[in-house]
Amino acid sequence: MFYTPKNALFRRVGRRKFLELGGGAATALGAGSIAVGLNSVVTRRPAYAQSSEEAKWRQFEGTKLVFMSENTPPSFAIRENLQPFYDLTGIEVEILTDDLPVVQQKVGIDLRGGSADFHLNYVQDKPIGAPFADFYVDLTKFMADDTLPQDPDGSGEDAWFENFLTACGVYYDEGRIVAFPYDCAVACTFYRQDLFEQLSKDFEAEHGYRMEFNADTTWQNVQDFAAFFKKLREGGREDIPYGYAQHQGSFAWTTQLDIQRLLFANGRWTDFEGVDDKLGSREPGPTRWGDEQSVLIMQKFKDQADVSHPDNLANGTLELNTVYQAGQIAMQVQYHEFAASIEDESTSRAAGGKTGYGVCPLGAKEWIVNGGEAVNGTNCGIGGIGINAGASEELQRAAYLFAIWSTSKNTQFSVLKGVGGTPTRKAVLEIPEVQAARQRPTNMPNALTFEPVYDYGIRDPHFVLGPKIPEANEYHKILATEVQRCISGQTSAEEACEEIRWQLDDMHGH
Amino acid sequence: MAVTTAGGGRGIGGGASAAAGKQHLLEMREGARVISHTPARLNTAPSRAYYFYLMLPAIIVLACITLYPFFWLVWMSLHDVDVGAAADKWNDFANWIRLGRDRKFQDGWWLLLQYSAMCMVLQIGLGVLLAVILNGSRHEKLLVTIFLMPMMMAPVVAGLVWYYLYNSTFGWYHWLMQSAGILGERSILGDPSTAMLGIVIVDTWQWTPLITLIVLAGLKRVPRDQLEANMVDGAGEIRNFFQITLPNIYPFLLIAILLRFMDNFRFIDHILVLTGGGPADSTKILPTYLFDVSFQFFKLGRGAAIALTLLAVTIVLGLILVRVFQSPTAQTRPEDS
Repeated sequence: MFYTPKNALFRRVGRRKFLELGGGAATALGAGSIAVGLNSVVTRRPAYAQSSEEAKWRQFEGTKLVFMSENTPPSFAIRENLQPFYDLTGIEVEILTDDLPVVQQKVGIDLRGGSADFHLNYVQDKPIGAPFADFYVDLTKFMADDTLPQDPDGSGEDAWFENFLTACGVYYDEGRIVAFPYDCAVACTFYRQDLFEQLSKDFEAEHGYRMEFNADTTWQNVQDFAAFFKKLREGGREDIPYGYAQHQGSFAWTTQLDIQRLLFANGRWTDFEGVDDKLGSREPGPTRWGDEQSVLIMQKFKDQADVSHPDNLANGTLELNTVYQAGQIAMQVQYHEFAASIEDESTSRAAGGKTGYGVCPLGAKEWIVNGGEAVNGTNCGIGGIGINAGASEELQRAAYLFAIWSTSKNTQFSVLKGVGGTPTRKAVLEIPEVQAARQRPTNMPNALTFEPVYDYGIRDPHFVLGPKIPEANEYHKILATEVQRCISGQTSAEEACEEIRWQLDDMHGH
Repeated sequence: MAVTTAGGGRGIGGGASAAAGKQHLLEMREGARVISHTPARLNTAPSRAYYFYLMLPAIIVLACITLYPFFWLVWMSLHDVDVGAAADKWNDFANWIRLGRDRKFQDGWWLLLQYSAMCMVLQIGLGVLLAVILNGSRHEKLLVTIFLMPMMMAPVVAGLVWYYLYNSTFGWYHWLMQSAGILGERSILGDPSTAMLGIVIVDTWQWTPLITLIVLAGLKRVPRDQLEANMVDGAGEIRNFFQITLPNIYPFLLIAILLRFMDNFRFIDHILVLTGGGPADSTKILPTYLFDVSFQFFKLGRGAAIALTLLAVTIVLGLILVRVFQSPTAQTRPEDS
């Protein structure tokens, strides 16, 4: 076809040769693709009980693991700093991160399909752990395996903050642990100290008590504060922000948590009678929604919405925090991981010592009709790290090394210092540098919330987890929709509670 | 095929080639070799089996990617296919029976119809208007390129852009609307009564250019002599549009409607990014609810039943539109009548 000089140095490639070369190249590419597609390699150098610690850590050198996680600070920080783990073990870890609903879909398909593309998963207690608990490895067998390295601070119940291991690691049956606490988001109150001080006298003149925030501040007080701020703003004081805003955006889980903390604070009300939410239940029975207490609190929640920021229904957790950063509200009940963003002077008008951190408000005695106790209902999301049961035994064991390393004291401390982590190990709080960081000025802003969160909120009787049921995600959506309908005036409190009751009972076949 | 070597030496089958001299042999010389072979029987119709075997690979591929999933979907809709490890169980049509009392399913249909109707009316109206304005204008090519830009954007990215524009804290579009007194402090997506409108605006912004492009192609085919003859008869611009232009672009419009109609039934990117179906389910059109049931709740059997209803209605409405498209009225051009 083309002119070829007689003295050309190359040899002409015949058709047969060309096909042979093409076939060879295609085979090589195919084999390469399969190797990439498999995406995991496991290699093993046996270690024994008497082997050195180094040998135990390095027994899976050359292995590659994939960890699917929510886009939380620990995962970002660990992804940026995986070299120490590689140096310790020789294991390569790829960390993939995404929004929680996307993570939930991806791991759900992976777990159900049994393909084990993600050897390690972010096991957020209710959205991921509750529906998929059966698909994770029972870690107790590795915890008792002396051929594997173990954390020097231990991995049992006592190593973690109160309730944390049970919240994210134990589902429906005692004795089986499917995840170690990896990070956490615990609710506390962020409020503008500067504005409270500025307006306290005016408020006192009107309401007869001081506008301040402490462990005895009730939800009725919060209602009064919010109404006071709103009245000032609508009276022409544009320098005064709205008082409060709820988590009522499109993220159904935090929308549900928003009303849950109010329900629990007032009489320790929970959705299902006789069910221990820390353990969860596969068949929780008929719901309590629709009873007198739930209707009263739904009405109070609607009243709260009426004095909140006008764009309440568009603000999910992230947007709400942005509203607070922008100086548009004076209070928010927010997750303590957001303190770092609030204290960032380059993005936040609430930074520079303007924000105080308190416990979640106390239930108001006059709001309790079920005879229960008034507590500082504090809810949370405890994110665990779990191992896919569909992975091979060797990969599971290799993954265990990463699970204990990523939840170790030193790793959690470095994440806390780096990007604002949320420790789950008690030992982290005992580090002198962390203790010093709990007061301003601090280089670990999240530590400013440790008093209301770790010293108070997560402890019983204030700690509330919410229903750990296999249908947790459908439950969250049902609640979010009906609560939003109620606070937007489409239904009354009674109708909303009745609708929730009907839908939950229908979901559970009652 | 017989191969002989030149120079008289007989090669393989040389005798046969001599014996088959009555047949139509074609010989080709290439260097020192002579290649001869029997031509194909061009005038003989191949058997039906021949065509079947030719189509077989395509049939197998189509069966794998369409028929198998379809029957699997039907099977799932009749079983409890859950996220649990338990085997899928026959459930006495429970997934189908549940649809009758599932208010979100029924509301989803109603919202989908509302959403589709609003999108179609706005997009067809604006698309035709833009096409008429652009047709023959001095900077037609430049303007068409500019108008097409939104369509080039991935729907998820478009959704994110508008999410930020609509935001009441820092959104430029919200600030503009608020400054003009159209909106208060509540954003368009934060109110159940306006959230759907907010999504329709995004969809219209992104997909009206497609209608414009299709109609513009149609406008190029409107016979100039008809327009001129009508004007000679005293018709103005508007009468000309309705009497000559519109009938001529009718088939193009039907294609545009068919495409957008099917898109509205399957595209949920904007809704997922902007509202997730909220607030208070005010934007939870049926495909969004289907997504929730299947991939958030992992109730795959229930999701399959919902998907089949969606598929059935899409097919029926699609067939009606195609029937209209193929009707003599749609195909008859003014000069034929």
